[in-house]
Amino acid sequence: MSAFVIAHNTFRETVRDRLMAGVLVAGAALLAVTQIATPLALGEGRRLTVDLGLSSISLLGLFVVVLVGTSLVAKELDRRTIYNLLSRPIARPAYLLGKWLGITAALLALALALGGALALLLAWRGWMVSAASLAQGVYLAGLELAVVAAVAVMFSALSTPVLSALYTLGLYAVGQWSDDLRAFAAHFPPALGRIVGALADVVPNLPLFNMRTLVADGRPTTALHLALATGYALTYVACVLALGAAAFERKDFK
Amino acid sequence: MQIPTSLEPQRPAAGRSPADPAGLAVCARGLGKDYVHDWTRKVTRGLDGLDLDVCRGEVLGILGPNGAGKTTTLKILTGLLKPTRGQAWLMGEPVERTASRRNLGFLPEQPYFYDYLSGLEYLELAGRLSGLDHSTARPRAAHWLERVGLGDRPRLRLRKYSKGMLQRLGLAAALVHEPQLLILDEPMSGLDPFGRRDVRELILEQRARGVTVLFSSHILPDVEMLCDRVAIILGGRLARVAPLDALVADAGGVVEIRCASGHGFELPGECGPIERMERAGETVLRLADGAGVQRVLAALLRAGVPVRAVTPQRHGLEALFLREADAVDAHSTDGAARRSA
Repeated sequence: MSAFVIAHNTFRETVRDRLMAGVLVAGAALLAVTQIATPLALGEGRRLTVDLGLSSISLLGLFVVVLVGTSLVAKELDRRTIYNLLSRPIARPAYLLGKWLGITAALLALALALGGALALLLAWRGWMVSAASLAQGVYLAGLELAVVAAVAVMFSALSTPVLSALYTLGLYAVGQWSDDLRAFAAHFPPALGRIVGALADVVPNLPLFNMRTLVADGRPTTALHLALATGYALTYVACVLALGAAAFERKDFK
Repeated sequence: MQIPTSLEPQRPAAGRSPADPAGLAVCARGLGKDYVHDWTRKVTRGLDGLDLDVCRGEVLGILGPNGAGKTTTLKILTGLLKPTRGQAWLMGEPVERTASRRNLGFLPEQPYFYDYLSGLEYLELAGRLSGLDHSTARPRAAHWLERVGLGDRPRLRLRKYSKGMLQRLGLAAALVHEPQLLILDEPMSGLDPFGRRDVRELILEQRARGVTVLFSSHILPDVEMLCDRVAIILGGRLARVAPLDALVADAGGVVEIRCASGHGFELPGECGPIERMERAGETVLRLADGAGVQRVLAALLRAGVPVRAVTPQRHGLEALFLREADAVDAHSTDGAARRSA
């Protein structure tokens, strides 16, 4: 219950931040850029627009996670607003869960807004794209942001905003290459290969959420892929938040 | 025999006798806190073996110089710090449990708030987080905003609030769910005389409602005005805890005798130490206590000196506090127990 109250407040905090308005403007500007670049795309204007439109959800979402998410808890510690919350009957894990829920809701709203703008642009240009495929692409981009937000919230509870941002960006970058890491592991000596393989398993498997090529081709993905991606995201988020909550539980607020 | 009523706090028995935490609003046993430096691992003792009982319905003030352990004590009780040693209970619940804070209203020292919210939104949030449902939280928030004098601009964002307004809002946030226990860390800090008066009235109003109030303060006259009992914490230890009147009586006092000047007289030696001074055309005799007053008066009358006034002057809480702090300083190895009052 209290997690939802905190989530509502975190959502309010994120959407009232001027940064969010800036991100929406940047998203619109990116879509406009695709239209300027379309004549240079040799008849691939639709593909370029879809690809960049979906990429903008991931990149601008990541921007919000790094600038807002990684300081979400640290800022409360720094400004001591956390005293007013945790001196109430709120379990610390519920507090972290609420923070994640709130920023995830804001990120999903951002994904929906940018996805909606992309759909409108495609319709205006008369480029036919499968609505189901586009919706699935936006959904998976939102799931990816939810996973990265959980990582950011965990680091934010344990570290300074700058370090949290670095850790989150690092994990995001390695997560984008997790498939390649797994492939590389097979070519390393066995001991090193196991370490690299384990690292690839621990970092978030972000390629699972990437279906930009499919959407650009106008092909929807399978229900199994969607179910697997959803299950993986929820499990990964639960593990990361549990880890963060275990450390946060022992924290002193001096 | 006086029958205790719900509004009259029952005082706990002195000493370390095992208390029933369920019958007390606050109970602490052997509470200790060590702070470990992140890099050097140097340990600093913040609190050392604190035993404290606060009865239901009582107003207890915690006094102590900066760094004595007042805020550490309050943060342990409110779950913000984990004790290194000992145990504590709020309304019978161990402080480690979330449920212990269900009936608690807490005002931290120099409270900070979300500046993107309005006063009304913040109080509603505070109420919801303390267990009020949506339909109750909004009217309760409006009521308390009005009650602390901020009701005229409910939509004003907190970034535009002054320090005094934020302190009032903090108090309203502590009270919005109408808790049975209030813990206030320096509630008068940063307030002008009007603000201090309003806060005092609020605390007295809560006491009349039967709410237990535990607060720390540096402003001794406020403590004298509000408290049933006073606890003095020095160097991380509980130096004294007693009813206010008993503390002030223990502090003793001088007796001042004013008489006409220009009369030569000798005081008998058995009258004890007497300070003699000339002030505004009068001779003023200051006796360390009231024991020798009769003999001094008899001597003055025998000498034919007109006596104009005999005034007992009791020491206040401040004198007692400073005396306790000096005593701890004298025994402490580093002499740093007392800093500033």
